[in-house]
Amino acid sequence: MTTVRDGRGKRPAAEPGTGPADGPARTSARPDAASRTAGDDAPSVRDLRRGRHRDVWGMVRRRLLFIVPVTGLVSAGLFAAAKYSPFDPLVGYLGTRYMTTTEADKAIISEQLGLDQPWYATYWGWLQDLFGGDLGRSRSFSQPVAQVIAERLPWTLLLAGAGLALAVVVALLLGITAGVRSGGLVDRAVTAVCVVVQGLPPFVLSLAAIAVFALTLGWLPAAGLSDGGSDPTAGGVLRHMLLPVVVLAISQVPWLLLAVRESVVTSKGEDFVAGAVSRGIPTGIVTRRHIVPTSLAPFVNIVGVRLPELVVGAVLVEEVFSWPGVAGAIVTSARDLDMALLAFLTIGTTVVVMVGSLLADVVVALMDPRVSTDG
Amino acid sequence: MNPSNPSNPSNPSSSLHPAGLRVENLTVRLPLANGSVVHAASEVSLAVPRGAVTALVGESGCGKSILASAVMDQLPAGARRSGTITVTTPQGPIDVFSGAPFRGRHAALVPQSAATHLTPVRTARAQLDETITSLGSTRTSDELAVRVGLVPAALDCYPHELSGGMAQRVAVAGALVGDPSVIVADEPTASLDRALTDRILALLRECADDGAAVLLITHDLASLVRTGVADHVAVMYASRLMETGPAVEVFDDPWHDYTRDLLGALPARGMHPLPGLPPQLTDLPDDCVYHLRRPETRQSGGPTVLVQVGERSYRTLRDAPREEVA
Amino acid sequence: MARRHLVVAGSVLAVVVLYAVLVPLLAGVDDRVTDFAQARQAPSAEHLFGTDSAGRDLFVRIASGIRTSLLVALLCALLATVIGVVVGVAAGFWGGWPDRLVMRTTDAVNALPHLLLGIVIVAMFRGSLLAIVLSIALTHWTQVARIVRSEILSLRQRPFVDAAVLAGASRRQVAVRHLVPATAPQALIAVVLLLPHAVWHESTLSFLGFGLPPHEPSLGTLLEEARSSLLLGGWWTLVFPAAVLVVVTLAVAFAGQALRKVVTPPQPSELRL
Repeated sequence: MTTVRDGRGKRPAAEPGTGPADGPARTSARPDAASRTAGDDAPSVRDLRRGRHRDVWGMVRRRLLFIVPVTGLVSAGLFAAAKYSPFDPLVGYLGTRYMTTTEADKAIISEQLGLDQPWYATYWGWLQDLFGGDLGRSRSFSQPVAQVIAERLPWTLLLAGAGLALAVVVALLLGITAGVRSGGLVDRAVTAVCVVVQGLPPFVLSLAAIAVFALTLGWLPAAGLSDGGSDPTAGGVLRHMLLPVVVLAISQVPWLLLAVRESVVTSKGEDFVAGAVSRGIPTGIVTRRHIVPTSLAPFVNIVGVRLPELVVGAVLVEEVFSWPGVAGAIVTSARDLDMALLAFLTIGTTVVVMVGSLLADVVVALMDPRVSTDG
Repeated sequence: MNPSNPSNPSNPSSSLHPAGLRVENLTVRLPLANGSVVHAASEVSLAVPRGAVTALVGESGCGKSILASAVMDQLPAGARRSGTITVTTPQGPIDVFSGAPFRGRHAALVPQSAATHLTPVRTARAQLDETITSLGSTRTSDELAVRVGLVPAALDCYPHELSGGMAQRVAVAGALVGDPSVIVADEPTASLDRALTDRILALLRECADDGAAVLLITHDLASLVRTGVADHVAVMYASRLMETGPAVEVFDDPWHDYTRDLLGALPARGMHPLPGLPPQLTDLPDDCVYHLRRPETRQSGGPTVLVQVGERSYRTLRDAPREEVA
Repeated sequence: MARRHLVVAGSVLAVVVLYAVLVPLLAGVDDRVTDFAQARQAPSAEHLFGTDSAGRDLFVRIASGIRTSLLVALLCALLATVIGVVVGVAAGFWGGWPDRLVMRTTDAVNALPHLLLGIVIVAMFRGSLLAIVLSIALTHWTQVARIVRSEILSLRQRPFVDAAVLAGASRRQVAVRHLVPATAPQALIAVVLLLPHAVWHESTLSFLGFGLPPHEPSLGTLLEEARSSLLLGGWWTLVFPAAVLVVVTLAVAFAGQALRKVVTPPQPSELRL
């Protein structure tokens, strides 16, 4: 985990942080010590840079080594838990015929489907299929898992991408303003609003948005991708996308904004700002070219740490708005205990989140030359 | 490192030479959250002449550094101050508290921990160039690097990649961009070894020789005495000035007991350390408190004044008979 | 300032708890009785918050909802704290590879979306209180473990530990009798701080349909029911439970933060003179 500041930024958001569990904002540290200062003799700047890039690659390798066992444990745990779950998978398989099938027939079917195997056998079989390219068949969607993913992933990317982009823009604009003028009216108002919104589960926001904008005012559609099951058109998709994207963005802005603000407030009080001011640099330039660039690295760090929250937000928004993405499919497959799809989605999400966090850490290491790459 | 001597034309008495920086009756009070007040400076008056190095010495925590912040009008928020600080420029005097732009152009700061006073995510060169552009200077960063004795390639490092001595020289380069008439150096050699200290002090001496008024704030009396870089010296104790005057004379024949104690503590002069610790500046009494450190002194223990005798001054009890000090 | 927040938040919470406890006793209306003739009545003098799609009075039903939500949240917070304390003490006290293993596990758990793990667990063991409590506790113990571990690390250096060992106490005795009680204040605060997260999670899981059965509704379950009746025009089934959920969550969160500020000594700031 890249380490950024010594003793600062322990909790990414300003208290009270009432969102889902805060990640450990990876803190601590000291600028990369001994080996990287240029001595009094002509320093080879090129050597310093190359050494830095080597360090970053090392961090990537180490982190990937960490991701693999975690993914393995999570997936194994999933299959083990499924085995001990009180639900009879035959219920899902037989559907309405469950009540009418005899016990003897059920036993035969169980054996055919391999349902009486120990969980690790099932798991191993699944792994083999996975690496062989066969993702299995989704019961709840009556399609191959690969097809489910292929059809639904683009919609999730669209929703999450637009939502995150909107959230980041709002968070940066308001957060920097609030941080630079901390204690002022804008800061206090914005912080208060963030604290309140952060405590609300995204589904409450979604329901409220639907109730107000879709049902009461009738301005925007309440669900889905298109009206009444017709083929989606560009205009229609945009209309249907507006509410979910805005709600997703609103649910993510609080922690993003508070992270930016905290970062800016910390930077503002540091010596280098006083140094720039004493050199006669105008205030605007101090904010834009000194405070903001230094605050960006901790901000990206926090984005990496709290990426799971974006995933959770997407899951809930897609569920409430019936948006046909993979995140919503997680809930559907969980409800139906569609193991093939659920396993792939859960593990896929886990990997994506961890890789995303690694990418964020790489960006931080490249942006802030002081950051240590011990992670 | 030329020992200043009375016949040196660049070391005239301060009254003959125009003052580049004039501090008049500066008092700074810093209220704390728990209701107490830190007395950072009390009625400090100091004239820093052009073309000379004036050293402000005292133990750590006596209020010297707050003077640097005051000169740059960068006192902490909530500070209460009274008194004036004037910087003399070719266009006339500027009151630093008036809000007129002067930082970098007419008065510049060489900060204590130079590396942390530079933005960590930008190279030294980028920040130096930015200073040059902001102040409208015609210099180049390479030129400034050479002037302070740096290899120009060193400027391409990030601040944390610079060693202590290099960072300090970058700081001096940054201060020189606008050719200021006043340079305030706040403990510039605090974390440097002897060789680097001598180099930085020599650099400041050159700046003074080029016409700037250099205020050197330091607790390192040993280096001052060793290198003889200072022309004038002012001694500070617990937010007040105890003694001022030409450096050679004060070091040879101190008039205030505290100066005598400070000099006596130097290894070269017998290493007799002062008793006790420097006082906390929180809620200081209104009068000089030196007698709490040295009970036998006759220059403290009641209302005191700075008595001016020729080019020198020293603090003593207001109601005491003037003693023979020569 | 923090004290004032604490008082305000605490009073709000007290009002909510009183509502939850007293209303069912005093109202004399049973919220389990369904009366489809009275279904979907707007708020009136007889039914202050209206009725839901099965004719149950919402005013009383929400009171039950608050009770369930808070009790479940308390259980989760307690279990998470217990796990966190045990793990934190073990990690802090033994050091070495157990400590490193614990830290790695904490990082792993924190790297994953908590709600996702929660969904998977409750999906498999649906309808049981244990599943819900476990799914929340198993993802939230990490904060507590972290705090407790650093507390133990600093306490370990203190002389009283050496004194106890010299006096003949075994390591386990030192840990149990001396170190664990020393973490009590932090653990208590951790429980309070975890409550809003637990409420958040439980209500979300209930809303998605993985919660407790409908005769023991939590606020999340009520909102799930509201969702289906929304299209038929029953705004009160959404607004009142949602508002109560918001108030409860914020009050608990503010109370926790204020409590922590009140208990933690302020850090002195540095002045360079």
